[in-house]
Amino acid sequence: MADYTKTLPTLDERTDEESLAFWAAAHDHKLVMQRCTACSHIRWPIGPVCTQCLATEFEWQEMSGKGELHTWVNFYQGFHPEWAKESPYNVALVKLEEGPIFLSNVVADDDDLAVGIALELIFDDVTDDVSIPKFKLAD
Amino acid sequence: MATTLKDEIAIVGIGKTPQGTIEGSTALGLGIEAFKNAVDDAGLDKNQIDGILTHPGTTSPEGATHYLRFAQAVGLNPRYTHSLVMGGGSGGALIQSAAMAIEHGLADYVACIFGDSARTGGTKFGGSMAGGNALSQGIWGMFGPHANSAMGLRRHMALYGTTSEQLGHLAMNIRNNANLNPDAVMYDREITVEDHQNSRWIVEPLHLLDCCLISDGGVCIIVTSAERAKDLKQKPVYLSGMGQGYQAVSFENDDWWYLEHQKSALADAFAMAEATTDDIDVAQLYDNFTISVLFWLEHAGFVGKGEAGPFVGEDRTALGGELPVNTAGGNLSESYMEGWLHIYEGAVQMRGDGGPRQVEGANLCLTTGRGLNLNCSNALIMRNDG
Repeated sequence: MADYTKTLPTLDERTDEESLAFWAAAHDHKLVMQRCTACSHIRWPIGPVCTQCLATEFEWQEMSGKGELHTWVNFYQGFHPEWAKESPYNVALVKLEEGPIFLSNVVADDDDLAVGIALELIFDDVTDDVSIPKFKLAD
Repeated sequence: MATTLKDEIAIVGIGKTPQGTIEGSTALGLGIEAFKNAVDDAGLDKNQIDGILTHPGTTSPEGATHYLRFAQAVGLNPRYTHSLVMGGGSGGALIQSAAMAIEHGLADYVACIFGDSARTGGTKFGGSMAGGNALSQGIWGMFGPHANSAMGLRRHMALYGTTSEQLGHLAMNIRNNANLNPDAVMYDREITVEDHQNSRWIVEPLHLLDCCLISDGGVCIIVTSAERAKDLKQKPVYLSGMGQGYQAVSFENDDWWYLEHQKSALADAFAMAEATTDDIDVAQLYDNFTISVLFWLEHAGFVGKGEAGPFVGEDRTALGGELPVNTAGGNLSESYMEGWLHIYEGAVQMRGDGGPRQVEGANLCLTTGRGLNLNCSNALIMRNDG
């Protein structure tokens, strides 16, 4: 796992507290998002206030991991030298059952993908410290 | 009582540089060359220009203070100036800012300027698009501007049956227009739908021939009041309608990909112009990718939601069709000037100066722009001098 050469999240003393919490949860194989304690809205991406009521207070809510394929693309052009080695690879938008759309990858054959199909969360343990939330076809 | 800008402001000067690969060029130098050409076209003295609005190129080192460098370089102390960074939405938004400034007496003759050496300057359009380092989309392999449009295209295909072949017809017809424009980068390079289908995937479902060029070049558009325009060298091109719309919220909105903000930009422009889609004779629709044209057609109401695929697939946007689109070749085949040449070509068509690509008897032209991560949209409706 030490030889993972693709893009990793930068996690150091300059990283904001919320992003560190997100990746700490991912390391425990949990996908979490901020839920406003004033109005219950779940916001994504991470932000300083609720996008609906502007309250600052929130708690982390674990997502169920269930969602559907909103849309996806296949990268052929090598925009990044390490990712290019895997071309073509997919990047997908997953509509989570809690509401937000999450950008990720679907680990599946491209022939099995279609807009609207059911997906479920998995984690790719790419280094000792980082587990990346991804999706697979729902059982 | 609300006032209206309808037909109060006119485009009176247009200038551009050669386009494509211009060795040794700089963003500043290209902008200055376009400015000189526009000043000459308008028949003005450069010292009459009292408004300078600029869109810094991707290779402009000054960023948002570019307006100061530009004005200094051309020896002007403007009454009104700023720069704006909205990618392909910058040109249309700056012209609307110029119109408002002129209407309210803050400036008389405003030059709106863009120059960029994106091609020879090595601009990389493939960076990761969103998030800080800790949540960069690159963690999931998401890079460059193509993918967001490809995401929208995939959904448009899934929901409405839009096909890649239909986009091929659009790309071919825009190329055919470029083949009537000797200044176009892709002039004299015919393509067929088959060529489109056989071109390599960039980000599937976008083929290479669905994608815009990367170009060096400059464009300048000079605007003034309709009253002053009457005394100038060129036939005025009136700005009848203007509108803008922005989308900042993406992944909390299921319909983000459908770009509803374009609809509000267009609706405002049509309302100001007191026009409908039936009145539009020619359109210059921002085409960073072919799919973008479909969204404009649907949001303007030329066709219903989901119906733009067959419209372009049946060649109805070709020159001679019911709505000629991107008559000079667009971002796809003329040059990638981030929408500035769409405004330039709109003015050419309204002057009746399109030569072999002129839409005969055209009175109203719709021109659109959109920039950054699908965020910034605007529309202009231009009217000829009748």
